[in-house]
Amino acid sequence: MQRKKTKLNWIDALVVLSIAIFVIVIVRRVESVLNYTWDWSKIVPFFIYVDRETGEWTKNLMIEGLLMTMRLAVYGIVASAIIGVVMGLCRISSNLFLRMVARSYVELVRNTPPLVFIFIFYFFLSTQLMPVLGIEELARSDSPTVQWLIRILCGDPVLFSNFISGLVCLSIFEGAYITEIVRAGVQSIPRGQWEAGKAVGLSGFDVMRSVILPQAVNRIAPPLANQFITLIKDSSIVSLISIQELTFMAVEVGVSTSRIFEIWILTAAMYFVICYACVLFFNWLERRAARARR
Amino acid sequence: MPKVLRKYWRLSQRSRTFATIQYLLFMGILVWTVVHGANQMGYQWQWYNIPDLFVKEFRGEYYVGRLTKGLWVTLQLTFWCVGLTLLVGLITALLRMSNSISGKALATGYLEVVRNTPLLVQLYLFYFVFSPILGIDRFWTGVVCLTFYEGSFVAEIIRSGIQSVDRGQWEAGDAVGLKKGDIYRYIVIPQAIPIMLPPLTGQIINLVKHSAIVSVIAVADLTTEGRNVIADTFMSFEVWFTVAGIYLAITLSLSIFVHWLERRAAFSR
Amino acid sequence: MQKPIIKLRGVCKLFGQFQALYDVSFDVKLGERVVVCGPSGSGKSTMIRCINRLEEHDSGEITVDGIELTEDMENILSVRREVGMVFQQFNLFPHLTVLENLVLAPMRARKLSRTEAEKTAMEYLERVRIPDQASKYPAQLSGGQQQRVAIARSLCMKPKIMLFDEPTSALDPEMIKEVLDVMIELARDGMTMIVVTHEMGFAKTVADTMVFMDHGRIVEVAPPSTFFTSPKSDRTQLFLSQILSH
Ligand SMILES: Nc1ncnc2c1ncn2[C@@H]1O[C@H](COP(=O)(O)OP(=O)(O)OP(=O)(O)O)[C@@H](O)[C@H]1O
Ligand SMILES: [Mg+2]
Repeated sequence: MQRKKTKLNWIDALVVLSIAIFVIVIVRRVESVLNYTWDWSKIVPFFIYVDRETGEWTKNLMIEGLLMTMRLAVYGIVASAIIGVVMGLCRISSNLFLRMVARSYVELVRNTPPLVFIFIFYFFLSTQLMPVLGIEELARSDSPTVQWLIRILCGDPVLFSNFISGLVCLSIFEGAYITEIVRAGVQSIPRGQWEAGKAVGLSGFDVMRSVILPQAVNRIAPPLANQFITLIKDSSIVSLISIQELTFMAVEVGVSTSRIFEIWILTAAMYFVICYACVLFFNWLERRAARARR
Repeated sequence: MPKVLRKYWRLSQRSRTFATIQYLLFMGILVWTVVHGANQMGYQWQWYNIPDLFVKEFRGEYYVGRLTKGLWVTLQLTFWCVGLTLLVGLITALLRMSNSISGKALATGYLEVVRNTPLLVQLYLFYFVFSPILGIDRFWTGVVCLTFYEGSFVAEIIRSGIQSVDRGQWEAGDAVGLKKGDIYRYIVIPQAIPIMLPPLTGQIINLVKHSAIVSVIAVADLTTEGRNVIADTFMSFEVWFTVAGIYLAITLSLSIFVHWLERRAAFSR
Repeated sequence: MQKPIIKLRGVCKLFGQFQALYDVSFDVKLGERVVVCGPSGSGKSTMIRCINRLEEHDSGEITVDGIELTEDMENILSVRREVGMVFQQFNLFPHLTVLENLVLAPMRARKLSRTEAEKTAMEYLERVRIPDQASKYPAQLSGGQQQRVAIARSLCMKPKIMLFDEPTSALDPEMIKEVLDVMIELARDGMTMIVVTHEMGFAKTVADTMVFMDHGRIVEVAPPSTFFTSPKSDRTQLFLSQILSH
């Protein structure tokens, strides 16, 4: 492929023309047919408003939702990374049984629709596992420190067990993808490294810890960062099992204000800004790491 | 490590049978836990009702069951999306590789927007904003949204497929005096297609999986039908497992096909 | 007669359907220098990799320094600590500096303290003549230097036996000598060595015994004097004429 200089040509004319036609059609339909009047000011209070009693700025549904999304993403990546490392090591273990279990997990999760997985798993979790684990009791405990901790870390204690179910669903789902990332990372280390490690008399465990993993980490980090962004996006699905994160809140606000166009454009924009900021940040980190390695 | 553990490990490394027995045992315990838990809550298993959801017999006549109807909608959805997605992907890939400024900008902008927003939010955006504006129904909203989403992946597959063809091939084409279009048509595309085929099939798998999301806007696909049946009959476990099983059957058979394609491509090189 | 330190008896090795070693029997005495040669794919690497169990043999018996190689992991580990190995592709650990490469195994497997391990490491780096590269990363060294580091890394475990699998064939010609010199010196110090190599000059200088392999079998074992001048087998003759002609 020759690298030619970009310049204006007939393709540009075509592109600009089609965009223009598209925009004109849309604008005309919005104005004449649907008779929609835009009103962005109505949704501002759903982000932040002045509390009547205290007179202070207070965050509202959308910001709460955003915080919840961030919590899901951060806790989710930690939990799914743990699952991913454990299952990834099982996936390449010499123990056939562990390999079979890990393989089943990965294939099962990756071949069912996320939606179906989340529904099934949520149903299972909320009816069976959560009562056993005693999450509800923890959330209802009267200890003020526990209540305070839950509120800071996980939002409203009333929804705590719900939040945990959503988080577990999401982590187990993403964990399958991280399993494959870890597997690929470890397997990308040449066989000679294993052999050299064994030949100098290290045990299998020591070879893994001192030789293979330190090298694999460099190869796992970029796709893992990518998975974090995917996790932010996938977290929107747990809105369907009533976890009150950004998408859930957007649905609520849309229904209650009927400012539907504004709220959805804004919500999409919020996700875009967050994810794109992460992309830029990770790219910057990677460039810096590459420079440091040289 | 204690000796017993080491013996156990050794056996699991060596003996396929031993590992399989462990695996079956493990799975058995897992299934038992679920069944036992369900029984504890007084769950009524009604597996005998499941066949009716596929084909129903009523006074000697056979009717299409609800899950079959749903599956049919899912397949229709997939069918339309595959065609449209290829088109969108191809156009985007060509724009991205073109030397036009606005074409590149449009393609890049599209890819970044799709990559950095959730599919569910895109679906809501299409359903609440674009479908009233353009006046399209639920089914086609689903098709358009999924096309918009998957198209970005297909665009990247096509682009990297074309770019994976060695530079020398272009130069050779130039050297024998072929025009750019002919180089594409006779040299680059024939070489790129076997490379692109496995990931494109993989993308169809993703399409089938992601299509489940249209149940959020009540398109009557497999997942929606499943949810409706559950709402009517409370057979949560049976229906969900059946629905998941159907999806698994589709996606797993497609992935076996992908493996076959990949192996064939690897041999032919 | 001295007791052999390495003893192979009827060793067979299969890769799936393919038999890489047929009934290989062979002894190495303490202090003996053995050079193994033979055409590509004849099983030379497979044989010496069986000696430190990088490959598991399927039948037969391998005994190293009185320890028989079985599935017992403790035995395998102790054999690997007695036996050093140098690979064609060096296989240095790229994320560790030269010094860290050298002290890793002594610290983890021999449980030496860092100061002790570093002291030994520096001694061996002197011996392979690159003490000044200790703090560099492998990627910053030339091929010859990397291979010498690999030799030093093995020596740091104070092995009784050294295995070399074509240590110079991944090197540019001008670097081959610096690696061979180190190996010759090692031989002079009385190290027991098994070297797979096509460097016949080196073989003539150091070998006590020449071994010729073909198609997974040991075809000829002889001292270099007779091996080079009057080989018994036709295949050896053919091989020698090919390899010595250039
Ligand atoms: N891991 C393996 N799987 C399958 N076959 C193998 C494997 N390792 C080696 N072989 C086969 O065993 C035979 C002997 O291999 P080996 O590496 O021992 O030969 P060699 O004498 O060292 O050759 P070279 O001079 O090329 O290094 C070869 O035919 C090779 O293809
Ligand atoms: Mg070899």
